[in-house]
Amino acid sequence: MRFQIFILCLLMMVVVLPVGRVTAQDGGPLRIEITEGVIEPLPFALPVFEAETADAGNLAAQISQVVAADLLGTGLFREIPANAFIGGVSSFAAPVQYADWKAINAQALITGAASVQGGQLNVKFRLYDVFSGAEMGSGLQFTGTPDGWRRMAHKVADAVYSRITGEGAYFDSRVVYVAETGPKDARQKRLAVMDYDGANVQYLTGSDSIVLAPRFSPDGRRVLYTSYETGFPRIYVLDIASVQRRALESQEGTMSFAPRFAPDGERIVFSLSQGGNTDIYAMNVAGGQAVRLTSAPSIETAPSFSPDGTQIVFESDRSGSQQLYIMPATGGEARRISFGPGRYGTPVWSPRGDLVAFTKQNSGRFHIGVMRTDGAEERLLTASFLDEGPTWAPNGRVIMFTRETQGAGGRSSLYSVDITGRNLRPVRTPEGGSDPSWSPLQE
Amino acid sequence: MRLTGKIVLLVAGLALAACTNPGRFDESAGGAGGAGGALGGGPIVPGSANDPTSTAYFNQTVGDRVLFAVDRSDVTAEGQSVLNGQATWLLNNTGFTAVIEGHADEQGTREYNVALGARRANSVREYLISRGVAGNRLRTVSYGKERPIEICSNEACYAKNRRAVTVLAGGLSG
Amino acid sequence: MHTGHYISGSGHLLLLAWLAFGDVFAAEPLPFEMTEVSVISGAEYAALVAAGQSPESVTEIAQPSSPEITQDAPEVDVAPDTETETTPPEAAQTPDVETPPDVSQITPLPPRAEVSDAAPVLPQPPADVAVDVPDVADQAVPQAVDRVAPEAVAQPDPEALPDPVEQDAVSQEETGTQEQDPALATAPEAAATEIVTEADEPARTLNSSPRPPTRPTPPQTAAATAPEAPAAPPEAPTTQDTPRDALADALAEASSAPAVPSGPPLSAGEKEALRVAVSSCWNVGSLSTDALGTTVVVTVSMAQDGKPVTGSIRMASSSGGNDTAARQAFEAARRAIIRCGARGFDLPAEKYGQWQEIEMTFNPERMRVK
Repeated sequence: MRFQIFILCLLMMVVVLPVGRVTAQDGGPLRIEITEGVIEPLPFALPVFEAETADAGNLAAQISQVVAADLLGTGLFREIPANAFIGGVSSFAAPVQYADWKAINAQALITGAASVQGGQLNVKFRLYDVFSGAEMGSGLQFTGTPDGWRRMAHKVADAVYSRITGEGAYFDSRVVYVAETGPKDARQKRLAVMDYDGANVQYLTGSDSIVLAPRFSPDGRRVLYTSYETGFPRIYVLDIASVQRRALESQEGTMSFAPRFAPDGERIVFSLSQGGNTDIYAMNVAGGQAVRLTSAPSIETAPSFSPDGTQIVFESDRSGSQQLYIMPATGGEARRISFGPGRYGTPVWSPRGDLVAFTKQNSGRFHIGVMRTDGAEERLLTASFLDEGPTWAPNGRVIMFTRETQGAGGRSSLYSVDITGRNLRPVRTPEGGSDPSWSPLQE
Repeated sequence: MRLTGKIVLLVAGLALAACTNPGRFDESAGGAGGAGGALGGGPIVPGSANDPTSTAYFNQTVGDRVLFAVDRSDVTAEGQSVLNGQATWLLNNTGFTAVIEGHADEQGTREYNVALGARRANSVREYLISRGVAGNRLRTVSYGKERPIEICSNEACYAKNRRAVTVLAGGLSG
Repeated sequence: MHTGHYISGSGHLLLLAWLAFGDVFAAEPLPFEMTEVSVISGAEYAALVAAGQSPESVTEIAQPSSPEITQDAPEVDVAPDTETETTPPEAAQTPDVETPPDVSQITPLPPRAEVSDAAPVLPQPPADVAVDVPDVADQAVPQAVDRVAPEAVAQPDPEALPDPVEQDAVSQEETGTQEQDPALATAPEAAATEIVTEADEPARTLNSSPRPPTRPTPPQTAAATAPEAPAAPPEAPTTQDTPRDALADALAEASSAPAVPSGPPLSAGEKEALRVAVSSCWNVGSLSTDALGTTVVVTVSMAQDGKPVTGSIRMASSSGGNDTAARQAFEAARRAIIRCGARGFDLPAEKYGQWQEIEMTFNPERMRVK
């Protein structure tokens, strides 16, 4: 009986299949599938912003440069040189001559203008999709004091970037890091904060004691970090605007380090070493009792919250070597997520929640990599003598990290890389740098 | 109350800070001069390494440090003989306390190395306690990979950087 | 005992599945894609292994590459900035009044006022004309508006090569571009290299392969390479640029609308040529990671001269991403069709009926970096 059905089905299949083919070919449209494309930067044209008042000339030029630099820095865009322009843009208000831009293969066109009036700088821009012959989104304008021109430029670039790529913005953000000078055996470290692109560096501490691993609060106003100013590692919280710092309470005879804020900005997690054993604790940044979240004889450190605050990813050598684990934010059973060869450390949960960035050490080399939160799809983005300490851009698309070069003259500096593994590039800082922490997008 | 606590800590911190200038880490086992200076106020006979009660003697003759294997924190046999000497010296010179500094080589992530250095310092502390030194005379601190004494990037240097150093400090009074 | 049932049962399931979806499969080789994925992950393993084997060489590459990068981003402005800020260094006390103000002032203001709509965008035709006229004059080739524009470009600026050669230009640039190189150089053995290579490979292959067929035609008359004016789609007939196009036109006109030559189905080679042609313009480089996970099915009507009717390009369906991602993916697909179709796809005129309507599935699965 069943066998007969089987046969019947077989027969039907034989009949049906060819019919399917014929219809696909005959009546319907021609069907093709494209699975291979090209990956190349999208060409854009950015005529220098128009200066609508005489004294805005410099600013207009500088803003144009920063906008272009932001876009180019992503590796996703390519700027068409101005000497290739055919018609240019006579004024911000004039209609766009799409054919001119299409002819030079500009796929996006950014026009803008700046003016200074009554001590206020006004910056506006429009973005055009040249091949569609239409504006992408509507024009925006920003107003502020002239010394905030860089932020306004970043905001313009953020809007352009988001509209074209669909990713969240990230240019108008800051990075806190450890500025380093001197040789390896007498290195001086101090906290510094800067714009994401290395501009506007400001120092937050002196260099008389070691400082490690600063971490932004979710609102970008405070920084948690570890300092040896008492001779022992302790955690401090520093207000960026006032540069006032305060040591968090700690128990005599212990060392605390590797702090990080919870998404609520109230709780923190950190590592505490006591009697040679390092575990993870949580406490309120305002003060109070520290709660122990892990209690194993192994090393548990580098905790990082999930964006929803319910889980913590951390590293532990409980299996015999450094590996990544995830546990509930209140502690409890942890599940291991890293299983590849080598050692895994400094996990950081992506702001989108889907990935964990980490440092991997294997066969004498270091990598920055990402994996899904269940450990799947591990992907190494970099490789060098020593890469470590990833931090996520606010949009979860770019990672910044520390790269240290080899040998007696070894130097530490900041790099960024796209999570596709492309577009590795150094972040310029006045001196060496390490342990970057990316702020959220500024409001 | 909290304020007073802070003040105490601050004072203690300042006192310790005097001992933690980065240059100190430059000295290899041979450096003695600086150590004497660090103890500025102490009632020490301006002793050379020949004076068995001097820190110079401790640092050079007894040996102030032990080394560790890669990613290990157990005291080696060689390390034990050094620590036996340290324990004896500390038992004979009860006016001193010590801070045991744990260090790691640069092959590791920053946080992990701090934790690893803490393990190493603690191994030494426990060993000294097991030889009779009072626990309240021994504190530990970890510098992770922040203060190497050798800066080349190969095993010859790494081996010397994976260390725990017993740093003598002033009398118990402090 | 039960084995027979199991075999029979699973056989039936397979069959039913086949019956239900067989047709789809026949049309869209999705299942094959899935196979490829697993292959790739295998490659990744290989890469991991490779990482262990050749470690040292990379460091050397890595270092040289960084200076290049630095050149790359040489704005003068940043240096001064940094300096300025650098001055108040030790000051753990002075918070540098400058920075906070920025924030506060911008914050309230960024209320994004819409720029006055004063400049409405109507101008497609006038714009074109205006531009074209001079160009035409240059060439002394009185021709349709569309065609002239690109030509003009080619002459003034050899560097920003216009449409016809854009692939070329890009690929050249890429080799010189710092961002790409460092990635290749610095992210060596491990998965990193693999990633980059993988991503780059198709681009290069595609860049070179599609060109030969299309190119021979345009060079002849410079004006030949006309990008399609999105506004005036079906109007394409004016084109006498290339002999082939002329032929097509002639044919089209001769047979006029009603009698569409249908001919036999396209050969595998003809379909492949079209696929490759579209691929070479499908740039996923600026897509969000979400959009890179989104497959879109796009339909387009074709004019008889092999040019897509721009206004007819529609997204039939999408899968794998949200609306935003789908829109982004569609935009990229649309650009690919318009850009590479500007000169007309190389399709056999006598089979016009076979390709009058085309349904293209853009599946970026393999373009995602694994």
